[in-house]
Amino acid sequence: MKQAIELIINGETHDLFLSSNVTLVEAIRDNVGLLGTKVGCDMGTCGACTVLLEGKPILSCITLAVECNGKEITTIEGVSDGVTLSNLQEAFVRKGGVQCGFCTPGMILSGTALLKKNAHPKVDEVAKALEGNLCRCTGYNRIIDAVLDASVSTSHLQDQGEK
Amino acid sequence: MGELKLVGKSLLRKDGPDKTTGKAKYTADRKLPGMLVGGILRSPHPHAKILNINTEKAEKLPGVKAIISGSDTRGIKHGFVETPRYPPDQNILADDVVRHVGEEIVAVAATHYKVLNDAINLIEVTYEVLPAVFDVAEAMHPDCNVQIHPNHPKVKDNFCNIAGKTETQWGDIEEGFKQADLICVDRFESHLRTHGYLEPQTAIADYRGDGTLHMWISSMGPFVKRKKLASTLGLPEGSIQIHKAYVGGAFGGKIDLFSHEYCAAALSIKTGRPIKFVATREEIFAAYRHGQPLISEIKTGVKKDGTIVAQQLRMINNAGAYKGSGVVVIFLAWGFSMIPYRVKNFKYEGYSIFTNNPPRAPLRGHGAPQVRFALESHMDIIAEKLKMDPIALRLKNARIPGEELPNKDNVHNCGLQECIQKAVSKTDFSNRRHRIPNTEKISAHRPIKHGIGLGVSAYFGGSLIYPNGSSAIVKMNDDGSVDLLTGAIELGQGSETVLCQIVGEELQLEIEDIRIISSDTATTPQDIGAWISGMTYVTGNAVREAAGNVREKILQVAAEQLNERVENLKLENKSVLVAADPARRISYRDVYNASIAKNRGDTIIGNGHWRTMRDEPFHPSLATTKGRWSENYAFSVQVAEVAVDTETGEIKLLKATTVHDCGFPINPQLVKGQIDGQVSLALGHAFMEDVMMKNGYTLNPTWLDYRMPLIHNVADSKEVDVITESYQVGRSFRTKEVGEGLVSAILAAIANAIYDATGLRMYTTPFSPEKVLKGLKLLNENKGLR
Repeated sequence: MKQAIELIINGETHDLFLSSNVTLVEAIRDNVGLLGTKVGCDMGTCGACTVLLEGKPILSCITLAVECNGKEITTIEGVSDGVTLSNLQEAFVRKGGVQCGFCTPGMILSGTALLKKNAHPKVDEVAKALEGNLCRCTGYNRIIDAVLDASVSTSHLQDQGEK
Repeated sequence: MGELKLVGKSLLRKDGPDKTTGKAKYTADRKLPGMLVGGILRSPHPHAKILNINTEKAEKLPGVKAIISGSDTRGIKHGFVETPRYPPDQNILADDVVRHVGEEIVAVAATHYKVLNDAINLIEVTYEVLPAVFDVAEAMHPDCNVQIHPNHPKVKDNFCNIAGKTETQWGDIEEGFKQADLICVDRFESHLRTHGYLEPQTAIADYRGDGTLHMWISSMGPFVKRKKLASTLGLPEGSIQIHKAYVGGAFGGKIDLFSHEYCAAALSIKTGRPIKFVATREEIFAAYRHGQPLISEIKTGVKKDGTIVAQQLRMINNAGAYKGSGVVVIFLAWGFSMIPYRVKNFKYEGYSIFTNNPPRAPLRGHGAPQVRFALESHMDIIAEKLKMDPIALRLKNARIPGEELPNKDNVHNCGLQECIQKAVSKTDFSNRRHRIPNTEKISAHRPIKHGIGLGVSAYFGGSLIYPNGSSAIVKMNDDGSVDLLTGAIELGQGSETVLCQIVGEELQLEIEDIRIISSDTATTPQDIGAWISGMTYVTGNAVREAAGNVREKILQVAAEQLNERVENLKLENKSVLVAADPARRISYRDVYNASIAKNRGDTIIGNGHWRTMRDEPFHPSLATTKGRWSENYAFSVQVAEVAVDTETGEIKLLKATTVHDCGFPINPQLVKGQIDGQVSLALGHAFMEDVMMKNGYTLNPTWLDYRMPLIHNVADSKEVDVITESYQVGRSFRTKEVGEGLVSAILAAIANAIYDATGLRMYTTPFSPEKVLKGLKLLNENKGLR
């Protein structure tokens, strides 16, 4: 049975009419047409499809779109305006946290959620936040570096803002 | 030549912004109007005769647009190797017999996945199940009652199911063993692992009314795919355009032609509509190709002083149901065993054996980790028996610069001796080895034991395999910026960044001034692809020549305009100036316009080509190893520091130190990224990853059950460059392999470190907790007996 739902993706409202078995990633990629969210396993094991639902990272390949009716979703396209990178996106490039790039959107969303609630995470907190995201290229060292580095530059900006 | 500006610098990846913002387009991100979805019915049996295929019910299902089966593809063969000795042996869709679980039988095109899956379920196949064999020893046994394919006609050994054999020798092996003071015999075994690329196997085909076939494929080189598609589809190569798509990792697993790629093309031709195939993760685990399990039997004769005087090797590979890369890995295993050390008398036999398992593919290192794990463990065993320092043993036999290898290749500026010395000094190796038994005495109750171990490896770079070389085009724009056209494919290694650095260096441009158009078979020149570890060297030199060609043209035009001799000019900041009188200058923009005006419209287009071993007609013989293999050998030494929990059997790789000779690193940060990734892959190989198969079925076809390293399984990875080459503008350069050779020595180093920590010698991978506990128990019992 189809349902009319409203997804607020990156601040924009999308009215969709979907079967209840359509997953959130299908809605995002096939119905809304945002293709930055990746599908690596389609069974909730790799984290490539991570998006933020009301600010929390979730696996969009094992989440039904209808369950997200009326909720706010952030995809990789909503992390920055795409021209000026966010601190974390910039740090991923600068620190070598990107290789093939297929896990990168999910990594960045998990990392973004972490930095939002914990501006100064320790290494084990970074690892905990990113433990659901598989990366086969980097060995993770530089991904950890990137998140730590972004947390430093984020706090730097915040400090400046506070002054 | 002055200081280098771009090359040798850790410039940021050109594809970084696109990949971090979700703009980078991979194959599945391509949406075409009216696109169908495709899927494949696969064999549920490891070995069976197909008696009948009935697709009637499926065809009647609304939304099913086309179905093809073995009768449509009969007679079309393909294979990883296609040579007279090893002709292609795989069917696109099974003909009369299926030989492994997951073998492709019927392909369906449908409007939606729901219809597609219903259609596949409605296809009725009647099988006569045949006996099957999975274990390599059983399969090759002369009395084996399962004949998967006839034995290779040229191999006369009294074994069954021989897919291929490599044999070679030099010196006098009998005489060599006679000279030996010690003869050491060992046997090692490596297990089945898989690539674990994040992006699934994906292909899109769009056959258009004008007779051209357009494809997007997650691959490791569009030109190899195009060739194989053209030959199987019976189309001219020029009618197939494989478009650029970023690739979400491959690690060897996406080279060959896969049935789904052919089927996508055939079904698009049949329906006149675009079609997309995406393999499910379970399909990839259960039916696609994994790496190469290898048995290594080694016999080595040494003198008291450590000189290796004879070595005899027998390698046996479980190839699966078709030759795949199995007949290549037995050739490569010879190569990986002969590079690092001098062995005067040598004999090698490699067998590739058919079993009813899925066929195999290269997996990063393609045999090197298996071979080096065996040989470097063996070296430590020999050293102990000789009561010799394992470092001294290695230094005694390690190649030195300028040495000629038995296949007439030369190691040129080989950095191996220096790598060994630096690895030892950087890790304080000699002092820290054996330190552990002392701590053990102090705190016998503590279950954690630390150990340190070392391994040596070497890897070839580039080789003569289709398409044997690369070309490149550099063309100038009106503002002096340039476009680089290259067939090189970006799959994470950073090719686009590295190639732009080379262009920038040759033309004194900023990296932002270079636009790269890559990996499109119609608009970019042919390229060797990202699969024989030669892209930076082969494509890099082609790109350097193309940019050099542009530089020559720029200088020529500028010389005429400035009325000055070319040798007095230099390039700087998108201008040409007189070195002695910098005020006399001409901008690239003016050079561009002058060239159009005076050189019959030449917009300053340069081209370049590169082929390794230009005097060599062909790749070396897979059967005899004769012929040149590579002109670039990279050497490496890796040191592992481990902690073994003797109560749980769990082992941690605490620190990996990689000392390597990659020639000249064009981009050190990208090199480091390659090393970290390879250490992580080896960590998975050593402790975590294991494709568990029973009777041809994969028991753990998900990432929940096939454990790859997570962010919690990070090893501290340090690296030391031993730079043996330099880069000079206008001259060919030598970079050596760095993308896959460094999964090997570290594996051996881990095994040797486990021995150092516990006295337990690992003869098989993975070094799993149960194996470690069992081994330690046995060790303690034996101690008790003594």
